[in-house]
Amino acid sequence: MTGLALLALSVPCVLWPATVESRSALEAAGIKQICVAPDRADSWRAAGFTVTPVTDAELAARERLSAPGTTPRPGVASPTRAPWIDANGWRFTRHPGSKYVYDLPAGKAPLAAAEAFAYGADAVLKFDVTDAPDVARLGQMLAFLAALPPLDLPAVADLAVVDDGSAVTGEVMNLLARRNLLFQVVQAPSARFPINVRIGTPEYPRTEAADPSAFAQKIRRQLTDDRRALRVYGSEVVLGRLTADAGRARLHLINYGGREIEGLRIRLRGRYADGEVHVAGAGRLALEDRVVTDDATEFTIPRISTYAVVDLRTAR
Amino acid sequence: MHRRSFVRLLAAATYARTSLAHASAAAATGGSAADAVQKTQDLPALRVVSKYAPVAKPGMPGPFPGRVVSVKSDKAVDTTTGKADEATVREMMAQGMRTLTRAATTADAWRRFFEPSDIVGIKVNCGGYPHCISAYEIVSEVVRQLTAVGVPVTQIYVYERFQNQMDECDYAAHLPSGVQTVAAERANRNVDNSGYDPATYLEADLFGEEDTRSNIMRLVSQRLTKIINIPNMKDHGATGVTGCLKNIAYGSFSNVARTHAGGKSHTYSVVGKLAAMEPLRSRTVLQIMDGLRGVWHGGPFARTTRYVFYPRQIMFATDPVAVDRLLLDIIETERRAHGAISIWDRSPASLKMNDTRARDADPNVNIIIREPGHVEYAATLGLGVYDIKKITLDQLTV
Repeated sequence: MTGLALLALSVPCVLWPATVESRSALEAAGIKQICVAPDRADSWRAAGFTVTPVTDAELAARERLSAPGTTPRPGVASPTRAPWIDANGWRFTRHPGSKYVYDLPAGKAPLAAAEAFAYGADAVLKFDVTDAPDVARLGQMLAFLAALPPLDLPAVADLAVVDDGSAVTGEVMNLLARRNLLFQVVQAPSARFPINVRIGTPEYPRTEAADPSAFAQKIRRQLTDDRRALRVYGSEVVLGRLTADAGRARLHLINYGGREIEGLRIRLRGRYADGEVHVAGAGRLALEDRVVTDDATEFTIPRISTYAVVDLRTAR
Repeated sequence: MHRRSFVRLLAAATYARTSLAHASAAAATGGSAADAVQKTQDLPALRVVSKYAPVAKPGMPGPFPGRVVSVKSDKAVDTTTGKADEATVREMMAQGMRTLTRAATTADAWRRFFEPSDIVGIKVNCGGYPHCISAYEIVSEVVRQLTAVGVPVTQIYVYERFQNQMDECDYAAHLPSGVQTVAAERANRNVDNSGYDPATYLEADLFGEEDTRSNIMRLVSQRLTKIINIPNMKDHGATGVTGCLKNIAYGSFSNVARTHAGGKSHTYSVVGKLAAMEPLRSRTVLQIMDGLRGVWHGGPFARTTRYVFYPRQIMFATDPVAVDRLLLDIIETERRAHGAISIWDRSPASLKMNDTRARDADPNVNIIIREPGHVEYAATLGLGVYDIKKITLDQLTV
C-alpha cells in the first residue's frame, strides 16, 4: 500500500556560520546552496551562492535530530549481530511537515544529508565547517543527491500506526523502522492496512509497548516476513524507504554502519523489471543476480557505502 | 606399525562412559538424561533453498558410513615445542588413507576419491590460530597427493570464511605455488556478501534478526567439484565440540554466528541442516580430522596453550557424524582429566552468559548452553552413523 503524502525530495541545507571570505572551502567542495544568517545573505548571494536565510530563532525552533549511525551499547546490542542504530526516518515519517536541524559530530554530515534526502525532510545540517575533509565529503554527497534523476513517488507501507502523540508510540515507530517494517502514520485505524497498531488497545497494550523492540517483533510476526514489502539481507545496519506507484518504484537504502557493504541482497514484494542503482561514491551500477518470482523480486546491490537509490519499473 | 582392528569393545565402553556423562550432567540440572540435549519442540523452523540436487551417492556419509580410521603416533608432535614431524605425518596420512579405502597403494587410495578434472576445495580451520589450526603438514600432504593423482595445483583451493584468519595462518607459504588460498569475507564483520551465492541458502528467524539467511560460499556451489574437510579436535562454546560437521557447515556459509546468543544455541539443528544442504553434502567426500593438537576448553580459539592438548592422531573417514561421535568422547575425556564440567552440562550455575573472560579463565564456565547433541541430530538427517555400537574404528599406530 502506498501512503498519501508525496514528499518533495530536496537536498538538505548546509548551515554556514562563516563570512563570505570562507567561500573557497565551499567552492572546493562544490557546495553552492547554503543556509546563512540573514545579515550575511546578500554578500553570499553576490558571491554566486544560492542562499536560504535562517535566524537563530528559527534554528532553535527546529526539531533537533540525533546524529545518525551506530552506537556501542554493551549488554543491549551486539556490534555485528544486532547493532544499536540511531536513525531519524521514523521522525520524518511521523511528522513529514516539520522542520529539523542536525547538530553533527565529525564525519556524520554525509549520512545525515542522505537520510534527510531519502525522506524529503526539511533539514539543516549544522557541523564544524572548519573541518575541510568533512566539508569535502559532504560536498560529494550533496552533488550525488542533486544529480539523482528526480522521482517523487508515494511511500509504501505494510501497516499503519495510529499516532496518539506519545513518546512510547514514537519508540515503537523507531523500532519498526529499525526492522524495516514499513509503516504509515494515521490518526485513526485504516481499512487499507491489514494491521493497525494502536497502543493501549487489548491487542497492543501499553505494557507490551514499553519494550518497543519486542513489540516491533510481535508486529513482524503478525505481518509475517513473506508479506513484507521490503527485506534486506546481508546487513543489520541498512534501513530502507520504499516508494512506488503502479509503474515504478524507488528504494532508498541508508547504511548506518560506517563500513562499505558488498553484495547487499534486497527482496521487494511485487514483480519488477530490471532496474539500476545509483550508489553514492560509485555512480550508476547494474543490479546483480536478479530473480523474479510470482510475488517478489530479488536483486543484489554490488556495494553501498553510505547511501544508494534503486529505481525499478514494474514488470508487465 | 601396530594395528588393532574393529575395536568395538573399546568403543562400547566409551559409549557407556559418555552416557553416564549425559546422565550426570542431567542430574546436575535436576532432570533426566533426555534433558541433556535440546528439546525437539524447541527447534526453529529451517527453510532450505537450493537448486542443487544430491548426486547418486553423496559425499557425506559417502562410501564408508560408520567407518573411521585413527592413526596415532607419539612422534607426530613434539609436545614440548608443539612442532609436528612432517615425515611421521606423511606416513600417518598414507596408512590412514590406505586403511580407509583398503587400497593397495596410497595413490590408489586418493584415486578412489579424486580425478584430474576435479576442482578440489580443502576446508581448513584457522579459528584456533596460533596453537591449533589445520596442520600445515597435513594440508601440504593432501595437496601433494592430489597433484600426484593429476589434479593441477591451480585447481586446488584452500579455503576458510575469513581472509584475516587465512592471512594469519598463511598456508600459501607451505604450499606449492599456484594453489589458491581464498576466503569469502575480509573479516567477521558482516559486510562482505559477494563471496556467497544469493540463490543457495538456509532461511531461519532464530532470535528475531533481520538478516534471516545463511548463504553458501560461491566457491563451494559454483566452482568446486570435491571438498576435503580438515577440522581440528576442539571444544566449542556453543556446540560442545567443533569437528567435521561444524567445520564444514559453519565454515562454508555466511551469517552463522547468529545461531547462538543470550546463552542459547540453535546449533543443535542448524549445524546438521547446513552440512546436509546441497551441493555441500554431495561434494564433501573426505574427512581428515586433524588431532595432532587439540583444544579441550575455550574453543574454538587457542590464543594460549593453556587448554591445548596433544592427541597426536589423525582420523580418516567419509562419515562426519562417526568422527564427531568419537570426538565428543575425546574432548569429554580430556575435560574430565582436568576436572572440568562436561560438555553436556546445561546447569544454569555454570552459565555466565557472554562472559568470554570468565570462560577463558575457568573451564567450569559456559558462556552458552552447549549443544553437543548436534552430532546425533545430524545423523537423523542421513549424514552418518551416531550409534557408537555401529561405528567401526580401526586404530593404527605409527
